Amino acid sequence: MEERRAGTLTFRLDLSQPLYEQILQQMRQAIAKGEIGLGEKIPSVREMAQSLRVNPNTVSHAYQELERDGLTETRRGQGTFITSSPEKVQRFREELARHMAREFVAGMRAYGFTWNDIARFLQEAQGRHVHE
Amino acid sequence: MSELAVQLSGVTKSYGAKRALDALTLEIPRGQVVGILGPNGAGKSTLFRILTGLTRPDEGTVRIFGEAPGWRTNRLVAYLPDRARWYADHTAEQALRWAETFLPGFDPAAARRLAEFMKLDLRMRAGDMSRGQEARLMLLLCLARRVPLLILDEPFTGIDAPSRARIIESLVTHIGEDGPTVLISTHELHEAEPLFDHAVFLVDGRVALAGSAEELRRKHGSMNEIMVSLLR
Repeated sequence: MEERRAGTLTFRLDLSQPLYEQILQQMRQAIAKGEIGLGEKIPSVREMAQSLRVNPNTVSHAYQELERDGLTETRRGQGTFITSSPEKVQRFREELARHMAREFVAGMRAYGFTWNDIARFLQEAQGRHVHE
Repeated sequence: MSELAVQLSGVTKSYGAKRALDALTLEIPRGQVVGILGPNGAGKSTLFRILTGLTRPDEGTVRIFGEAPGWRTNRLVAYLPDRARWYADHTAEQALRWAETFLPGFDPAAARRLAEFMKLDLRMRAGDMSRGQEARLMLLLCLARRVPLLILDEPFTGIDAPSRARIIESLVTHIGEDGPTVLISTHELHEAEPLFDHAVFLVDGRVALAGSAEELRRKHGSMNEIMVSLLR
């Protein structure tokens, strides 16, 4: 695992996994958690590629996905900014949560767990989380 | 010009009984950064020497942007040979002036920017430089050329970590959209592999594995891991 800083953000890159997915995911998380503020300018593709020491095409690919998510917008001649709409970020977070919940439930169901089992495991997990 | 930067078909080259390249077929599209990887003796340097026209294949055809390699393709290719050195009694400044006179497409302003970025003192004589400093000089002489194909044979050999990081950063400023096609061979995969769009693994003068770097990562892991498993 490689730790690399770009502006205020720290990325952890694992060279045995596709890099664009990791950059995309860590940017999404930073935006969803509010580590990058609404309306904030993000580094250009080239600046980001230089800080992370990765191919600019890889960063560009991740930036295109962020724009498709509605999380960023490109202003002609000014650069790329985080959306200034809190609703868009909220919508993205909820969609993401829904998606992860569905995947989790489907995974548990595939192993034959009932809804009661799932609820019990969730409660257990939450208990552990509180104690951590 | 052709959409392919490099095209080889059935290229064979032997040195005595040793087959350096064995019916090698390879196509590299324009604008890509490609890692040419493999163990020592896999044929990487022979491939580069054939692409620059320094060596002729025994069999097969080679095209650089649709042209056969030779003096006419020199204007298209910047080549950094393995363990390249400069004249010991020249200062870096003199090397830059030499390059301006003799190397097609050499951009002196870009060379000066690179020297500053790589923290290379232009008053220094090549003979007084450390290996890392001389390697940076040799690399900047390549990177300062406005040419569509860069061939870098082991640009990091014998270079300390801070110089390597500087070199990688300056490579990043050169590649990407509308950038040149870059072929890099290196054993310093850990630092270089995030730069690759594609990787080609050569073993015994043949392509053992090739593909987009991200696809290879998804299927097989890091370039380093692939290299280890190919040699097992």
